[in-house]
Amino acid sequence: MNILEIVLLAVVTFVFAIDQFSLTEIAYRPIIACPIIGLILGDVRTGLVIGGTYELMMIGNMPVGGAQPPNAVLGSIIAMIFAVKAGMDMNAALGACMIFATFGQYIVTLTFTIMSGLMAKADEAAANADPAGITRVNLISCCILGSLFALMSMLAYVGGVAMSGALQSLADHASWLMGGLSAAGGMMRFVGFAVLLKIMIANDMWGILLAGFVCALVIGNIASLSSACLLLVAFLGVAIAVHDFRVSGIKKKAEEGGFSDGI
Amino acid sequence: MESNTLQNYKDCTPAKPVSKSTLAKMIWRSTMLQASFNYERMQAAGWLWSMLPGLEEIHKDKDDLAKSMTHNLDFLNTHPFAVTFVMGIVLSMEQLKADIQSIRSVRISVAAPLGGIGDALFWYTLVPITAGLCANLAIGGSVLGPILYFLILFGCEMALRYGLMYFSYNLGMKAVSVMTEYAQEFTHAASILGVFVVGALIANYGGGTALGMVIQNGENPIVIQSYLNMILPCLLPLLITLLMFFLIRKKGWTPVKCIGLILVIGIVGAMFGIWKGSYTPLFSVPWTVG
Repeated sequence: MNILEIVLLAVVTFVFAIDQFSLTEIAYRPIIACPIIGLILGDVRTGLVIGGTYELMMIGNMPVGGAQPPNAVLGSIIAMIFAVKAGMDMNAALGACMIFATFGQYIVTLTFTIMSGLMAKADEAAANADPAGITRVNLISCCILGSLFALMSMLAYVGGVAMSGALQSLADHASWLMGGLSAAGGMMRFVGFAVLLKIMIANDMWGILLAGFVCALVIGNIASLSSACLLLVAFLGVAIAVHDFRVSGIKKKAEEGGFSDGI
Repeated sequence: MESNTLQNYKDCTPAKPVSKSTLAKMIWRSTMLQASFNYERMQAAGWLWSMLPGLEEIHKDKDDLAKSMTHNLDFLNTHPFAVTFVMGIVLSMEQLKADIQSIRSVRISVAAPLGGIGDALFWYTLVPITAGLCANLAIGGSVLGPILYFLILFGCEMALRYGLMYFSYNLGMKAVSVMTEYAQEFTHAASILGVFVVGALIANYGGGTALGMVIQNGENPIVIQSYLNMILPCLLPLLITLLMFFLIRKKGWTPVKCIGLILVIGIVGAMFGIWKGSYTPLFSVPWTVG
């Protein structure tokens, strides 16, 4: 055990945790993160091999569309710790790290939930025209995510493979809580939509809302179109909006024309 | 209009174009778009932080800045690398002091479809190709693998951010000045587009919210959600959105209160195994969770 290693490990895990959503959004990828962890733990070669392997595993398992697969940042970092520190062979390390990857996903869920609540702080800062307040909210979020990830990597370093068992039993007992949090997380966006609607919608637009809903349902259920769903829906929306603009523009012109005739 | 003070800026004279250095600052800040990503408004706070240098330069009046900051905290989700395209357009509208309703509608309508294009281009095309190329170099023990990987992807990312920002800012300034003659009509049309897109988002982003109860019945297990789908697919997302709209607009609930309610619904539901997901309910129930 080496204090310097632990500190460096915690620092880079902190940075990678933030990087998975912000900063470069590339440095956290296993192919880059693992060799860097390898450098800290004194085995770059293993880092390259695990990083390359994990990277290939991840193709087709991208963090897109709000889905949260087992967390690759924590997964790859902890696979490295197990491989280098516990001397496990690569495949065993990749297997044993998965429970940590699952916890990484829990941490992300938790952070996204907490930050939903903290949006009230951002609203307050905005109402006071206080840019520093917005900076603060973003910093708080980065710190929560980074610290929790750093904590997990230190647990893995100190507790070793034994931690996997402990985490597994914790996961078994608390799975309803995490299931509930992610179900709630999936629903919170509807609050965001409702706030948007509160401002945008006029009484004559409820049909338009349902039309958009139907279009996305139909296109989204056609496998060959579903990835382009929102773009296709937007095309339709633009057509309707342009038509509306033309019609109301003509109406306005006619009204103006009517006035000038009177003069 | 219910309240004109909320719909328009106090100082409606167009501001001077935003300086090059401010634009550059905004591009670099846009890398923190998802800094406080959350389930309610997703990228909202990161978006506002990226926009702030420009907004502060445009809105000298403190009340106007507050108004602008407030509406720039709306729900937003777009592709993090293509976000500067949305930023440029919104910035040009802010600079020309377009009415707030239009800015809101245009922002969500441009942002939402960009997410899909960006994912298809970047995560499904560029990343797999680059990964395939570099991963084998790395597995073979070459440090060149990760270095090449970073240079290619980060280079493309930043080039995209820079290019899109300048392109869309100039485009926006040309387009928006044409609209000012028909401002009111434009607002209505933009709102229609915005509402249409939000309707689509409910179905497109809502699929995760579903019932998970499966009653074992020999060969043909009864999946409760499939019965709901027969009434209307994505019924729950639509109903919950309408409920939230009702609570916010008619009952004056704050978003935080709504989130609290949803948290309770989610967790209590999971105790009884009502929601879809991979978990074990706290209480034993006569159905399984799927």
